[in-house]
Amino acid sequence: MSNPEDIDALAAEFTLGTLDPDERRGVTARRLAEPALDAAIAAWELRLGPLAETVPSVAPPNELFGRIEARITGGQGKRIDAEAAVPVLPAMAQSADSLREIIVLRRRLSQWRMRAVGFGAIAATFALGIGLREWTRPAAPKSYVAVLQKDGFSTAFLLSVDLEARAFSIRPVVAQPEPGKSFELWLIDSKLGAKSLGVVGDQPVTTRASLAVYDRVTVAGATYAVTVEPPGGSPNGIPTGPVVFSGQLVQTGP
Amino acid sequence: MTPAQQNLVNLMLAVAARDRIAFAALYKATSAKLYGIIVRILPAKGMADEVMQEVYIKIWDRAGDFDPARAAPISWMAAIARNRALDEARKRAPVSLEDMPEGYEPAAESGHPLDGQERSEALRALLGCLSTLDKEKREIVLLAYYRGLSREALASRYNHPVATIKTWLHRSLVQLRACLGT
Repeated sequence: MSNPEDIDALAAEFTLGTLDPDERRGVTARRLAEPALDAAIAAWELRLGPLAETVPSVAPPNELFGRIEARITGGQGKRIDAEAAVPVLPAMAQSADSLREIIVLRRRLSQWRMRAVGFGAIAATFALGIGLREWTRPAAPKSYVAVLQKDGFSTAFLLSVDLEARAFSIRPVVAQPEPGKSFELWLIDSKLGAKSLGVVGDQPVTTRASLAVYDRVTVAGATYAVTVEPPGGSPNGIPTGPVVFSGQLVQTGP
Repeated sequence: MTPAQQNLVNLMLAVAARDRIAFAALYKATSAKLYGIIVRILPAKGMADEVMQEVYIKIWDRAGDFDPARAAPISWMAAIARNRALDEARKRAPVSLEDMPEGYEPAAESGHPLDGQERSEALRALLGCLSTLDKEKREIVLLAYYRGLSREALASRYNHPVATIKTWLHRSLVQLRACLGT
């Protein structure tokens, strides 16, 4: 069956789901070896896909995500929804100053957790985020958190970095840009200078893999800063507005 | 792209980079929609749960294949969910109408978006083209899409030979493709 019309008809009914079991198994096997058939199926998925918008949502059982996580990690690694203590911060506990910072940070982390109930409700409204409580818990090995703030009191952003994947998530806690302005996140390194990580704070959670071009030492040691920029971010790739919040990473995972 | 869609794209990219926090966020944002899709095709108790797990494991494994230039994340994920649910449905005895929830009325599968939800442009175009099909043929396509009904189940529901259903499906899909022009 190499006629394009036949291939398309097969792809259409495969996508709709009305092929009989034998035909369906045949197409499932053939699409791996036949790019034309596979592309025709992808095209039909695009054509019919918008119908998914019309399907009513149904909440899955609560325990399902735990089972999925367990299968992904093969039972290894910490579960994101597992009960966990206040993050341990061994890497920073080296001087009296950093120790003081850690104590303050721990206190803040527990305050954020208390606020998580309210914040979670907001996140759920947007159907976007995970609860702040889960989010501040150690999730994966080599995970780091930075508190971006203006002074010692007002926390504006929580930045979480997965050093393995060199991906980050950032969540505004209280910060909102002035009307007509955007917040932009920067990695600031003594050798590289300021490198944009993109506009942040316009969503409950922003997650990007844009740290992937930097090595681990740079990512772990950098200062992270938020500046006020024109809408959509700095036009020329360097900060044009004032630094309003900044912070450094502390390790929360093992 | 709406901020919600952009957020899903960002999450997908982070999941492709093996970010488990992003995966948890993606699950929170999309699981009710995908579960809704799966449970309509597999209403028997417990079936949907197993398929749901496999679907998210596949999303985790295949996130690197996702191309934001080609498809919206939710469409990409919905296709994985439907595909896996249909595989399961075809493995079992044909779905009968007795499996359907009480008070279920096929005519209700009108393809209308939920109240208060904005239709995407693509959905508007698709619904417009579906409306050019005869009523019965449109219902058959929508029942197949939403409930995963086989040709046999459709034939018995509409009291036509299976061959007729097969011809109708084929013609309806050709007509849809021509109407969509994509």
